[in-house]
Amino acid sequence: MSRYVLGVSALYHESAAVLLRDGVVVAASSEERFSRQKQDSALPVRASRWCLEQAGISMADVEAVVYYEKPLRKFERILVSQLTGFPSTLPAFQRTALTWLTDKLWVRNALCKELGARPSQLMFSEHHLSHAASAFYCSPFERAAVLTVDGVGEWATTSLWQGDEHGLKPLSEVRFPHSLGLTYSAFTAFLGFRVNNGEYKVMGLASYGEPRHVDKVEKVLQGVDGGGFQNDTRYVAWHKSTVRSYSGAFEQLFGAPRQPGTPLDPRQGEGKHYADIAASVQVVLEERLLALAERLHADTGLDALCMAGGVALNVVANRRLLRDGPFAHLYVQPASGDAGGALGAAQWAWHEVLGQPRVDPGLTPGLGRDWPDDRVRTLLDELNVRFDDVADDRIERAADDIAAGKVIGWFQGRCEWGPRALGHRSILADPSRPDMQDRVNKVIKLREPFRPFAPSVTAEAADTYFDVPPGGEGPAEWMTIIGDTREEHREAMPAITHVDGTARLHRVRREVNPRYHALIEAVGARTGRPVVLNTSFNLKGDPIVSSPVHALSTLQSCEMDAVYLGPCRVARGQLPRGGAS
Amino acid sequence: MRFADIRPGPVLVGVSHIVWRLPGRPATKMAEFAHTELGSGHDMLEACELTPRPEMRPLYFLHALDELRHSRMFRERARALAIERSRTQAVLDDSGYLHSHGIRGSDPLFTELGELDFLAFVWLHEQRGAAQFGIYAGLMDEDPASREMFARIEKDERFHIAYSRKELERLAAQGQASAVSAAVWRIRWRRFKQGWLRFSRLIGDTMAKLWLTVIYVVGITPFALIAKLTEREQGGLVPAEVDDRPAAQRALEQL
Ligand SMILES: [Fe+2]
Ligand SMILES: [Fe+2]
Ligand SMILES: [Fe+2]
Repeated sequence: MSRYVLGVSALYHESAAVLLRDGVVVAASSEERFSRQKQDSALPVRASRWCLEQAGISMADVEAVVYYEKPLRKFERILVSQLTGFPSTLPAFQRTALTWLTDKLWVRNALCKELGARPSQLMFSEHHLSHAASAFYCSPFERAAVLTVDGVGEWATTSLWQGDEHGLKPLSEVRFPHSLGLTYSAFTAFLGFRVNNGEYKVMGLASYGEPRHVDKVEKVLQGVDGGGFQNDTRYVAWHKSTVRSYSGAFEQLFGAPRQPGTPLDPRQGEGKHYADIAASVQVVLEERLLALAERLHADTGLDALCMAGGVALNVVANRRLLRDGPFAHLYVQPASGDAGGALGAAQWAWHEVLGQPRVDPGLTPGLGRDWPDDRVRTLLDELNVRFDDVADDRIERAADDIAAGKVIGWFQGRCEWGPRALGHRSILADPSRPDMQDRVNKVIKLREPFRPFAPSVTAEAADTYFDVPPGGEGPAEWMTIIGDTREEHREAMPAITHVDGTARLHRVRREVNPRYHALIEAVGARTGRPVVLNTSFNLKGDPIVSSPVHALSTLQSCEMDAVYLGPCRVARGQLPRGGAS
Repeated sequence: MRFADIRPGPVLVGVSHIVWRLPGRPATKMAEFAHTELGSGHDMLEACELTPRPEMRPLYFLHALDELRHSRMFRERARALAIERSRTQAVLDDSGYLHSHGIRGSDPLFTELGELDFLAFVWLHEQRGAAQFGIYAGLMDEDPASREMFARIEKDERFHIAYSRKELERLAAQGQASAVSAAVWRIRWRRFKQGWLRFSRLIGDTMAKLWLTVIYVVGITPFALIAKLTEREQGGLVPAEVDDRPAAQRALEQL
């Protein structure tokens, strides 16, 4: 009989639920894909329920429900850090005490009441242990060094581990308030972007700047002997405040913060200044990660590195680590943020609490909700949405559309696990058209014009067009590393090549996603290059679409040309008009 | 069963006049509307997916498209009217807004209410929205862009009221009059209860804050001093605390 473990992460960043059957992932989803609330942190009630449905079981069939951290230990950290900030921490104390006393302290009760778990089913992992387990147990390595870096868990903000046949062994850690993730987030806020969401923009902005302010950033964040780092707490406020992440001294150092929502041209004037700051913080982050990697390599003597935690989503730093660091192999768990904690918590319980041997967890890009072809057809009929049934030639039709310069929504198979769209819920276009970046940025995704898009390329052709450091092929399948667009192809693919010549490529293997692979090949047959522009299927501020009605409402809300919803092609003009009109 | 539309009362009109003239308030209000309209849009999309009655699906879908469009319109207006950009942006960026304001729970509204009550909810809720937006449109003499936006939205809300009322009337005519009327009252009662809950939570939070201040000032000072003395300010890598107990035992603890 099969044995099931349910992992749950919630109440801080993005919440998620993951169900393992005999150690293999059967279903995994963030709650946001159900609630449509971007980075929803509420208890993943609907995601959990769906996971069980997907496996055809009930909560009673689950052996363990594993929460991704120790809630009381986290509360202890928050209380202690607020006490040390006495008396300026009164407002923060009021706010945290209220939310914790009314809500977050009662995780055990909530898991029972809202998820329907029994107290005897509950287990609690630790925040960084969950990240580390997700990285190690999903990796192809039998033995590996593991580095987990994020804002903060309970106390740890960075942890070094060794993973082998005996499980995960903690080596050393950096503790709150010293934090690489929180430092990067403080700069994210300073640069006028949303914390926990705009870090990508800082990374994109960095490519436009020169690292002129490294000395100032190093005042905020210094490296220390032995590979670690520390913050000068005079410049930061995250340990004292729930709303501010940097202090007045920080502003004195870097000048006025950028006003959110204002236009930003990183090539000149003020925009350039902010790009220089972004470039500086990026460089310092990379240096600190390299130092940590050196230390971890020295401590373990292993040649493979696994990573997770929000900072592991910094794909630029990941390449630097592989290129300039001591490790020959790299694995980055694709859902490195806190959603991935649900996966790691479940894997830790399966292997280390229940003592089960390692298995291939079967992590594929599509582990979320699926819509059978027939249901899509019926739904469209009932909605009076006209469509072309392209069940037998969807690949050829979609390739025709892309080659003709159209922008299409590609909704096929199960929804993605993790923050990136990997060919199940993607918006696709031809990257060789000069106006494409602007078009998709301005009228479809409605996002900052300086941000480039990612290319999806067939694994066979990846080396022809892109240069990825040795050992980066695996991460490139999950878009967790960047490469260079080869010099001779840069001009031809402006929409997917960043200002510094890099691309966050997505290498697609036939065995992993046959339909998407076939589509890219069909596009290649028409354009001469098996490369498509791939961006997540959603509008700015929305989570990735997970059901057909979300896809249709997205089609209606932006200037996309058509959507391939399973077997149906719906063009923009085929949608019914709005209510009053 | 009468299906009389709600008219804005004098209190609502008066309060709106005052609130709308507070500096910075229009931008915040627009940002809040952007959230509530988005919430309605999601409620309607869920209803569209969940309803067992295929004939309702396209209506819910069109309704959802309207609400999502309204949300975008409010978002844009909020940005245009913002005096303090970062504050308005903070409201717009608050991804937990709908949860923390009790607007959306963990289950879809459609599942929570069932079809009949959901329709009654739509009918009552849309009327309230239309009435409110109607008042605001009248307050926008110096701001033609907002006035025009409210007028356009109000027109959509009329459609939402009309189809939900028609559906309720149809059900009533099919011999379900008392069930329909009961549903309308249940939704009214639900709204009253929620208002009361919000009010008592506000009182509770204020009281709690007061107590927490007392605790902070009186009770915490000695601990704060101890904490300061034993402050874990040390940076750099420190050895991980190794817990030798079996994982099964550690897994049971929350601390
Ligand atoms: Fe984390
Ligand atoms: Fe509306
Ligand atoms: Fe409405």
